Amino acid sequence: MPTTTASAVCTTVGNNILLRLTSGERDVKLKALRELKNQIIGNRTKKLSFLKLGAVPAVAGILSDAVSAVDVADNDENDRIVKDIIVQSAAVLGSFACGFEAGVRAVLDAGADILIQRGCLVEEMPLLKSYMEVVDAGARSLKMIYQSKMAPKYDFLQEENMEFLLSLLNNESENVSGLGASIISHSCKTSLEQKLLFDAGVLKRLTSLLGGSLIQRDASLESIATIFKNNPEVVSQFVGPDTGRTLSCIIEIVKDRFARTRLLASLCLIVIRNASPCYLQDVGIKTKLINNLLELLDDPGRVGDEASFAFSSLIAEKEDMQKLAFEVNGVDKLYNHLQKGSLHPRRFEGILLALADMCSKLECCRSRCLSLQVLKLVVDALAHDSSDVRSAACMCLRSVSRSIKNLSAGSFMNETIVIPLVRLLDDTSTAVQVAALGAISNIVVDFTTRRSTFIRLGGVKLLVQLSKSMDSTIRLNALRALRNLIFLAEDKCKEEIFMELTASLLASLICDPEPSVQEQALALVRNLVDGRINSVEYIFAEDGIILDAVGRQLRIASKAEIEIQGMYVLGNVATGKESHKEAVMDQLLLRAENKAQSCIIKFLQSNDSRLRTAAVWAVLNLTCSSSPGSSGRLVKLHDAGIVSHVKNMVNDPCLDVKLRVKTALEQFNSFDDSLASTSCLQFLTVRAVGELSHVVDPSSKIPCDSISNSCYVYVTDFCVIYSHVANSINSQCL
Amino acid sequence: MSLFWIVIRQLAEIEAMAMSKKVITREEWEKKLNDVKIRKEDMNKLVMNFLVTEGYVDAAEKFRMESGTEPDIDLATITDRMAVKKAVQCGNVEDAIEKVNDLNPEILDTNPQLFFHLQQQRLIELIRNGKVEEALEFAQEELAPRGEENQSFLEELERTVALLAFEDVSNCPVGDLLDISQRLKTASEVNAAILTSQSHEKDPKLPSLLKMLLWAQNQLDEKAAYPRINDLATATLEDPAI
Repeated sequence: MPTTTASAVCTTVGNNILLRLTSGERDVKLKALRELKNQIIGNRTKKLSFLKLGAVPAVAGILSDAVSAVDVADNDENDRIVKDIIVQSAAVLGSFACGFEAGVRAVLDAGADILIQRGCLVEEMPLLKSYMEVVDAGARSLKMIYQSKMAPKYDFLQEENMEFLLSLLNNESENVSGLGASIISHSCKTSLEQKLLFDAGVLKRLTSLLGGSLIQRDASLESIATIFKNNPEVVSQFVGPDTGRTLSCIIEIVKDRFARTRLLASLCLIVIRNASPCYLQDVGIKTKLINNLLELLDDPGRVGDEASFAFSSLIAEKEDMQKLAFEVNGVDKLYNHLQKGSLHPRRFEGILLALADMCSKLECCRSRCLSLQVLKLVVDALAHDSSDVRSAACMCLRSVSRSIKNLSAGSFMNETIVIPLVRLLDDTSTAVQVAALGAISNIVVDFTTRRSTFIRLGGVKLLVQLSKSMDSTIRLNALRALRNLIFLAEDKCKEEIFMELTASLLASLICDPEPSVQEQALALVRNLVDGRINSVEYIFAEDGIILDAVGRQLRIASKAEIEIQGMYVLGNVATGKESHKEAVMDQLLLRAENKAQSCIIKFLQSNDSRLRTAAVWAVLNLTCSSSPGSSGRLVKLHDAGIVSHVKNMVNDPCLDVKLRVKTALEQFNSFDDSLASTSCLQFLTVRAVGELSHVVDPSSKIPCDSISNSCYVYVTDFCVIYSHVANSINSQCL
Repeated sequence: MSLFWIVIRQLAEIEAMAMSKKVITREEWEKKLNDVKIRKEDMNKLVMNFLVTEGYVDAAEKFRMESGTEPDIDLATITDRMAVKKAVQCGNVEDAIEKVNDLNPEILDTNPQLFFHLQQQRLIELIRNGKVEEALEFAQEELAPRGEENQSFLEELERTVALLAFEDVSNCPVGDLLDISQRLKTASEVNAAILTSQSHEKDPKLPSLLKMLLWAQNQLDEKAAYPRINDLATATLEDPAI
């Protein structure tokens, strides 16, 4: 069989070389080393087979012997050969470590990194120092080793290591200073290390390297970016005349001839910009960076692949940058690249993420995307082989589906989008599942009656299954999606969803070990019981375990977000029948252990205005004038000290709270005046407003603005809550 | 009636003036050219850059002595680079690979495309010398794994191996692979890679300047008639055709 013959030949040749490596004669050894080197450079397969034959420890041994032999070298001829042996063995070891993980491991195991450092670069070998070849060879090999993820962590905290590093940086040789820069780029991770390096003054030398050769410039740019990354403190110390010089130097380099250098310079500036709000803020520089990166996308190689990621880091979370990018046709340019087809997965992922960032806050970007028919390409990407691409496609979809206009028009709730998305809920990768859940959470916020499409395609089953996952992130996101799905859903829909969920699952999720999961579960229940009176019945299913769970959580919870959702649940239930209202009363008046008063009093006194609002709503609904049992309930509330607390809030600083309290007080007074109940009703009708819900997710920061935006429903990323007042009016006007 | 024709003629004249290009006489042109000052140092640098990038070591050395222009590369490294280029051009690819690895072992390790093309050239040379068995073994052992790693390599490999299928290799569809031009292409690629690794630009500046000249002339052609350079070798000004 040809293959076997080939590898048999290879092994014979390999063994031959290894045999000669063990020879006593230096000439033979040297020749064998050179042959080995020439066999393995560029050839991954050969590297692997020589690795298996034990080449690395053998060569490391030769290097070690040669290094010690230098001391006892007595004539020039010997020196030369020993030097050559060192050079060649260093080159072999460096090649094994080049982009080949198994090789790096073997080299590190053989202690070769220390050998090379000591043998080629350290001061104590004066004889060797005069041989630039040896120094260069050593520096090259060490650089290869340090570029690997498995490289030993360089301990910057040790003084002698710092000194060694500085000596490397200050060296004339391009390879040696490159090694120094490489060590910084790959080993400097913590902010302490960044500070140490900054304090040691490496920046000065790195800046001067910016004016050096291409290789020095590139290496220096990477190192500078590493020192500043995510470290506002170090950036803030970067003041004085030197800063200006370095910054303007880098800004110049953004226009360099070489694409890779332009990319590295841009990345450097982005890092500095992101770490500190005071640098690089003028429009000129912003536009320059955006245009530069969009242009770099044209590069067909790795530079083009990475340019989109750099673009994302430039615009992510920054509305002003996204706007600027939109104005220079960023969306169109990204789309053009997407259209090219058969993209390298890394490039595909990068462009999708860039589009996701572009559309994260601006409606104009989303509209443009939709008009360009980006969706079609994104949906195709949902089925891509690479999980990173699938994930990125989901994030893109999530951003684009923040468009209220299109959500209302039902643009997303169709089979072409829903089917592949639902399929991803079953994906092998957790990250993809979470990303898909994010997209689904938005898409199911549908103001038409098309939710049934989603349910029909098996979406609910999968979501419920995921809400039972071991992974809390998945549980959380699955609940979010369900919460949005159930928002304003029709009765039939709600019933189907509830049947799948079951009361016991809901109750257990409300008591989930993760607080964020509890919050979502409560929000889900809030949406569930919202709407017509029949909806309230759900909470009483299975002997009211859900209501019990809600009450229990309210009594023990300490996180405001959970308390808010819980109170709104109770507030919604309190818009139901008499028995419902009484059940809420029971829950409220139940005291927790060691607590002298009802939990609602704590909420009424909370610093969080949202919580106060929710609490007052519950009181309002319980004491609604048109309900027969309200006066009785008012007495109980009064006895529990709740009424007096509400009365004390008449001058609450938050307008929302103040208005609710005003209404509540009027309601309390109305029990003396039956006429007032009709005007109260009218009063409440006028006050019908849409309410927003804060989401803990940092990507959406929608202010709660219920007064000025009457009847305006604003869709956020993960949840929309509709008004309770409108519901209570409806139920009473029946 | 005649008034009508007068108006027409006037309109035609106005149109002609708008469309006609500005004419620049040779005198004017040469005067303008003489007003442009170019330093001798810059010219020398361009020449040195060309000699160094293309690898004319002796010429560069001589030029340095005569003009005092310093090359931006160590002339010693040029010799090494030229040795590699020459080896490829002569078809001694194995020798070239050894030399490149001596010069800088990183180059082939970090340049998979270049490495593949060198190996491909080795295969071509084996086929050219009629060593069919060796060629097949080489293709299997050295090139097939590269093809597995990369789709485009696989396609090029298939093209190369196809050479073995034809009796009359010089006339087959993939016969261009046996051309000297293929060697030169590979040699050029190696040269460029070495230059890049030495932080030097891989293309000399002179051809870019000439391209710019031609482009500028093409742009100007739309707006004016002027003495043009049509033959780059002689650089003589040729009067515009009127």
